[in-house]
Amino acid sequence: MKDLVKRLTSISSPSGFEDEIREAIKSEVKDYCDEIRVDALGNLIAVRRGTGPKIQFAAHMDEIGMIATDIDEKGFVRFSNVGGVSPHRLFGQRVRFTNGVVGTIGMEKLDDIKELNLDKLFIDIGATSRESAQELISIGDCATYLHGFDDLGQRIVAKAMDDRIGCAVLIEAMRRTEQCQSEVYCTFTVQEEVGLRGAATSAFGIDPDLGIAIDVTGTGDTPESRRMAVSLGKGTAIKVKDQSVIAHPKVKQLLVDLAERNGVPYQLEVLTAGGTDSGAIHLTRDGVRSGVISIPSRYIHCPSEMVDMIDVEASVKLVSLVMSADISEALQ
Amino acid sequence: MKLDQFLERLCTSSGVSGREHLVSSVVSDLFTSGEARGWATEIRSDALGNLVIRKAGSSPSAPKVMFAAHMDEIGLIVTEVKDQFVRFDSVGGIDVRVLLGQEVVVHGRRDVPGIIGAKPPHIQDENERNSSVKIEDMAIDTGLPADELAAQVSVGDFISIKRDLTALRNSHWSGKALDDRAGVAALIECLRRLEGYSHAADVYCVATVQEEVGLRGALVSAFGIDPDVGIAIDVTHGSMPGLDDSEAYELGKGPVLAIGPQVHPRVLERLKAAADEAGVRYQTEPSPNPRGTDTYAIQMVRDGVPTGLVSIPLKYMHTSVETVCLKDIQETGRLLAQFVISLDSDFVEGLKCCFKS
Repeated sequence: MKDLVKRLTSISSPSGFEDEIREAIKSEVKDYCDEIRVDALGNLIAVRRGTGPKIQFAAHMDEIGMIATDIDEKGFVRFSNVGGVSPHRLFGQRVRFTNGVVGTIGMEKLDDIKELNLDKLFIDIGATSRESAQELISIGDCATYLHGFDDLGQRIVAKAMDDRIGCAVLIEAMRRTEQCQSEVYCTFTVQEEVGLRGAATSAFGIDPDLGIAIDVTGTGDTPESRRMAVSLGKGTAIKVKDQSVIAHPKVKQLLVDLAERNGVPYQLEVLTAGGTDSGAIHLTRDGVRSGVISIPSRYIHCPSEMVDMIDVEASVKLVSLVMSADISEALQ
Repeated sequence: MKLDQFLERLCTSSGVSGREHLVSSVVSDLFTSGEARGWATEIRSDALGNLVIRKAGSSPSAPKVMFAAHMDEIGLIVTEVKDQFVRFDSVGGIDVRVLLGQEVVVHGRRDVPGIIGAKPPHIQDENERNSSVKIEDMAIDTGLPADELAAQVSVGDFISIKRDLTALRNSHWSGKALDDRAGVAALIECLRRLEGYSHAADVYCVATVQEEVGLRGALVSAFGIDPDVGIAIDVTHGSMPGLDDSEAYELGKGPVLAIGPQVHPRVLERLKAAADEAGVRYQTEPSPNPRGTDTYAIQMVRDGVPTGLVSIPLKYMHTSVETVCLKDIQETGRLLAQFVISLDSDFVEGLKCCFKS
């Protein structure tokens, strides 16, 4: 499982540029589904045939990043954000463009750190002129954090844990689930970080009866953190509400009942800032009952996001239980 | 049925966005076993909990008209249960400054009454006296000891404000959730007036869910119904001290018809004509920012829906002393009924080609 997470987090695939991660996930899941397809926007949909209602699981495979907007005469690259990248986390970071070019982020002279915004930052790719920079990258090329995976024992840390850990959970659950009662659509979505876009179109195409997103959520267990009753290591998190969705009461209950009956450790989650793919799925067509299984994560959208293997394992178990459960109660 | 009694039943029910089942039952019971039995052809809930009350039209090629009034209300949600106190966050646009001192109901394993306490003025320092308390620093006190509280209340339980509907003078009523239960009451009044009346149009009165968190119920119910015309019935700001007359509408002077990009000009025209036919006095409101009501969601569904917006003047919006005049609700219902009666397939055909030269 850790190897899988390492493989997935090492790939640079910011929103809109998910080719590499899609190919990697395709090779991980192809032996564990009956059908695999890619839709017009690039969502990867792996189908497990069944006779019951249709469940869509969604884990987004894109990650936040940076996009080159201008190259100056000395070869410095100005950039804008792709998704929720904060300037305070960027200075001094090493980044990698999707074509492999590596750079580091520098900052203009500031009188006060409060003046810091993305306009004051630039990427230095080691070029000596505009021309030499243009041989390496073009306007519109995208980069991501360049940070390795580290195994800290019970906990692991990497960039893009949001939401490669969700992808890993979904892949592992597919592998472990022998019989599905429902028809299961495992969707690895694109462009979540820029507005749940892949989830919206994939859900319209699939037209599911039930939607479950698998994504990271925040925690309140670090020094002087924002108050939140979710901690690392206390189990998978069953979402009640975030800014994008209020979990359908029967779907939330389905997840709680499955966790309780099978001894899966879980926490209930109210996330006051942030959203996830279920936000788009539940508003599809005439409405889809939806919920979210979250993996608690520290330092979300930083270059080093940390999760706990206890929570990862619990999330895999819960996803697998939903795949093999009779979900008719939640649809009544 | 007396409309004020029904309004009271509606407004004292809880139905925070995402948990509207109780208020939904109040409405559906009225049609299945209450005074409104027989007024509707069909009543159903969709996947997200929108309550759709349909009254069939007489014409086989009847145009479909959707009226949407949201039944959800703003409220709170439990974020942490610690010691003897419940921490919470808002659901929808709660004005945090009016929360201190409120009575609430925590919808836990059972309903638990509580209050939102406040630090007494005697022991506030100057900084505290001059700034408003943040929601994350507030707490609900239920009186329960820590272990019993933890057994009754969990993270994610919903909390509603507790407040009776109070009769003020001059047909004015004050309470919580009048935004937009006043609109739901107007739908009931519309159906009462249409009872036994044969009209061409197929009428879908929808008590929508999750308006206060982003027009979510209206979006999916409109997709399901696929209407030819959609009208949201919501509230707008009533005249009150501190609000300029140009931004506010007087209570008791009738429904307010919105004019703006989310309102189809022919729908507005027909609403005005229906008001004139029925002798309903109305006010008009320029509404340049279209995103505030269900109209916006309905307009953008499928290949587009011609929409209108009828508002009931309401004072002190998003507090627990929202105030309306019952006459405005009645007149709104009367206007909607006349609008239904006036609809035919020619009107709907006209909507489709009115922008062609």
